Amino acid sequence: MDLAQSASGLALGLFMWGHMFFVSTILISKDAMWAVTKFFEGYFFFGTAYPGVVSAVVAGVLVLVMVHAFLAMRKFPANYRQYRAFTGHRALMGHEDTTLWWWQFLTGFALFFLAAVHLYQMLMHPGDIGPYGSADRVWSGRWWPIYLVMLFAVELHGGIGLYRLCVKWGWFEGKDPAASRKRLKTAKWALTVFFLVLGLATLGAYMKIGYEHRDLVGERHTPSWVVPDPKEKAP
Amino acid sequence: MADGQALRKLTIRILRYNPRVPGDVPRLQDYEIEEADGMTLFIALNDIRDRLDGSIAFDFVCRAGICGSCAMMIDGRPGLACRTLTKNLGAVITLAPLPVFELVADLSVDTGKWMRGMSERLEAWVHVKQGEIDLKRIEDRMDPDLAEEIFELDRCIECGCCVAGCGTARMRDDFVGAVGLNKIARFRLDPRDTRTDEDFYELVGDDDGVFGCMSLLACHDVCPKQLPLQTQIAFLRRKMVKQGTLG
Amino acid sequence: MKIVYTDVLVIGGGLAGLRLAIGAKRRGHDAIILSLVPAKRSHSKAAQGGMQASLGNVAKGQGDNEDIHFEDTVRGSDWGADQEVVRMFVNTAPKAVRELAAWGVPWSRVRKGDRQVVINGQKVTITERDEAHGTVAQRDFGGTKKWRTCYVADATGHAMITAVADQAIADSIPVHERKEALALIHDGGRCLGAVVRDLTTGELLAYVAKATAIATGGAGRLYRSTTNAVICEGMGHAIALETGAAALGNMEAVQFHPTAIFPAGILVTEGCRGDGGLLKDAKGHRFMPDYEPEKKELASRDVVSRRMEEHIKKGNGAKSRFGEHLWLDITLLGEKHIHTNLREVWDICHYFLGVDPVKDFIAVRPAQHYTMGGVRTTPTGESPTLKGLFAAGEAACWDMHGFNRLGGNSVAETVVAGMIVGEFIADFCDRAENAATVPVGLVQEFVQREQAKLSAIVDRRSGEDPSTLKLEMQDLMTSCVGIFRTGAELEKAVDGLQKLLARSRNVGVKSSAPGPNPELVTAYRVQKMIKLALTIAYGASVRTESRGAHFRSDFPRRNDAEWLKRTLATWKGDSDTLPTLDYEPLDVKRMELPPGWRGYGAKDYIDHPETPARAALVEGAKATAADRFALQQSLMPYEHLLPPVLRGRNERIDEPF
Repeated sequence: MDLAQSASGLALGLFMWGHMFFVSTILISKDAMWAVTKFFEGYFFFGTAYPGVVSAVVAGVLVLVMVHAFLAMRKFPANYRQYRAFTGHRALMGHEDTTLWWWQFLTGFALFFLAAVHLYQMLMHPGDIGPYGSADRVWSGRWWPIYLVMLFAVELHGGIGLYRLCVKWGWFEGKDPAASRKRLKTAKWALTVFFLVLGLATLGAYMKIGYEHRDLVGERHTPSWVVPDPKEKAP
Repeated sequence: MADGQALRKLTIRILRYNPRVPGDVPRLQDYEIEEADGMTLFIALNDIRDRLDGSIAFDFVCRAGICGSCAMMIDGRPGLACRTLTKNLGAVITLAPLPVFELVADLSVDTGKWMRGMSERLEAWVHVKQGEIDLKRIEDRMDPDLAEEIFELDRCIECGCCVAGCGTARMRDDFVGAVGLNKIARFRLDPRDTRTDEDFYELVGDDDGVFGCMSLLACHDVCPKQLPLQTQIAFLRRKMVKQGTLG
Repeated sequence: MKIVYTDVLVIGGGLAGLRLAIGAKRRGHDAIILSLVPAKRSHSKAAQGGMQASLGNVAKGQGDNEDIHFEDTVRGSDWGADQEVVRMFVNTAPKAVRELAAWGVPWSRVRKGDRQVVINGQKVTITERDEAHGTVAQRDFGGTKKWRTCYVADATGHAMITAVADQAIADSIPVHERKEALALIHDGGRCLGAVVRDLTTGELLAYVAKATAIATGGAGRLYRSTTNAVICEGMGHAIALETGAAALGNMEAVQFHPTAIFPAGILVTEGCRGDGGLLKDAKGHRFMPDYEPEKKELASRDVVSRRMEEHIKKGNGAKSRFGEHLWLDITLLGEKHIHTNLREVWDICHYFLGVDPVKDFIAVRPAQHYTMGGVRTTPTGESPTLKGLFAAGEAACWDMHGFNRLGGNSVAETVVAGMIVGEFIADFCDRAENAATVPVGLVQEFVQREQAKLSAIVDRRSGEDPSTLKLEMQDLMTSCVGIFRTGAELEKAVDGLQKLLARSRNVGVKSSAPGPNPELVTAYRVQKMIKLALTIAYGASVRTESRGAHFRSDFPRRNDAEWLKRTLATWKGDSDTLPTLDYEPLDVKRMELPPGWRGYGAKDYIDHPETPARAALVEGAKATAADRFALQQSLMPYEHLLPPVLRGRNERIDEPF
């Protein structure tokens, strides 16, 4: 079970990094982001976009999230006594890794709901992913507060989780495990900050696009190299 | 003091509670003492008991950092009081008994009972080969490096700091703690112990054992003997997963 | 009244007590261990440097055997030891190391090939034999002719007690922790158990047993400056003494260890010097060769401690605000050696002195270290005067250390005595006539007596303060019954201690809280400690000679003619203010090694009239004996004294079967 928890966590963690890179392509250009979404919809393989491919991936991720959450629940405080014991312990000890776990627990708990909502949305409306589709959802759909919270939660949770995986299974121990651990932690913080900055910028970009596009909600992005074709608009 | 600083007045704040006194409630009690050069908490506490209050319960044995009796929460963190120098702490020092273990009174807790229970559960002894050892014969040879590796893990003094520092142990009474996992790692390494990974999996291959550990690593960070708990638990976890999945 | 029944009651959970209980249990007798603290926290744990056993595996130990170990031990004891017991011991010590090796002690092992060591301040290359690779290694220690001390880095006692306590758990031997024996239950001739105080609840219990064994270690806390743990207050000695029937042997023989860190008194191992460390004075001068050209830093502990104090008295000590001290220099051993073989020493220097012994000298001065005296027993470990009472380890005087113990012989004694006495105690329990009949009346009487004593202390709210009494006693012992003793000072000590004894009968406490009540503990213990202190001071004042660790400046010579005898102290009546002293002569005519010069220390002594004749006879036997075993057998047969399972020769690389 510990292995499954770790494996699902690792998969989700790596997925989130990838996910962040994909959505952040908006920072490069709307076209780039469009290309990425279409890539995942199989457009470049099949010539047509099948949002169902995305739905399948989303379903897979959702299952992973459920499995991961279910396994992780074993480690949560099971009752008030345990909750009090841990919070008291954390406050008194002032021990970094212990405190980090508490954050991991809290963010994990939050993510369980946030991610479920987000994933459900993606599962049902996979075709809505796109430069304008996403931006409209963020801005006009008033999803941005959720994305903002989720961004912090995910990056903290994932960063801490991946760091913990390394020390838990003894990866990258090297000759001097103490020094490696220090390096791992630095790397962990660096990655978290990097992804937070990237995420904030990305979210900002979507908000900006969404704000500018607020009156045209529903319109889909057309790559700049394509001559507008009315048929494209109707999915 | 040697460096010419004026000696400080210290406030030693002790969590007092004697469960055998009817109606007694846990409370913090302050004691003012004068700091001395090279003063440890061993010296400070005995000074308090000799001069100010003979009723405070605490445990010291070797007072040299090798027996593990005097572990307590020092400003919130578990540590050995005997080798904690007051000069490394603030002017107000808060002392509390180790959590998890049964309280005797004040700063004294029953680590012995917990450790014995853990040892019995994990069968924490070398399972010697059947048959008499021939004491007259030359001992079995052992690689010098292996002997050193075993000793490295054998250095545990069962002080309880790792257990008190452990978030899992705080929440779950049956968790064996880093002390227990380290012991299994030690016996696993020892060719004189006849047990196999299958046997060890039976003992620690569950959520009370190595899979209960959340890798918070406080055990590693507070261990007064600097045992390599982080790497040993990781190693044991890999071996136990291998045993659990591949058999 | 709660009564606990068992076959063997072992008081003390250190190495001797644990091993003894395992022996009895494996012979089918129930054993319960009483311990003030969890067994693994016992003071056995503090043994750092190692345990002597003549395995002869390392190059510098080649040719070692029981004979040489025997001679080193007897010379170390300044001929105070019982030579038969020493023979039993040296023959069992290799077996003990091998048993512990099988039980999991991670002994440091021999590595074949060249290695650099430091001998006499010089770097030397030693080549270890291929055939010794992987066997248990030995290091050098004071007062030994060969490298004989088996070790686990510098945490030997720790590794040993961990393994032995684990085996006791494996054998399901209960250790009743936080329990203190306050008095032995006896009828003047037969010991039947003990009255015990639960240190958690404060409640009194009775333990009734066929055989009771005292394995409570030493009494270092009678002194202000000691390397002993805070629990080493001699309570086992004291409850035996208070029976009035059992005797304490050679209590005036108190060892001071040369290298206790100054001023905390924490031990740094003799292994520091064994591995090549040097003693230096304020000027950085290595002074030991000036006094002891033969053994230098590695003369026996009594001699080195005296030379150090002598050197300080001449004005060569380094000064600090706590007083004067000398330096131990192990910087020449190198960082790697210190971090692997002297790790505990590094820790202690780091945490308690704030120095790094790789670069800095260590401030040291002798401190009380070992109680050679103890409950007098026969070679079987049983009291000759109180049936059913046994003793083993530091608390016993069977008597293998005489007036000075060699480094490395103490942890060795604990397990060896445990092995031997464990067998004899099982034999004792096997005999039908020793079945304990439970005299409920007697048990009740003893419990009530102890309860009354405690109540009296608790009720006496304005009595003498226990901590003050203890401090005054410790100061008196340190200043007047230390390394150098004189008649005048000893008289002052005896006088002062008698006054303290009188005051201690009026001791009171401020707190009557139920439970542990540490103040009450100090109060009842201090009454007993002062009695023990008196057996030491009084014994020392009467013994008008110098022998081993007992050094009288006013009688500096060893006097075999008058004092080749063992002191026996008993405490006849509750109202006595002095112990009763008797003397038990040692028989020169039965000695395998007749008295002579130790090979270090003073060369001047008064011979026993029978010594020359015995010496000549021994020399003659050496000339005619077929081999060392035959010679030994002809001079002092001892093997019949050992339990059958422990008899037999020991295999060595150079002495294969």
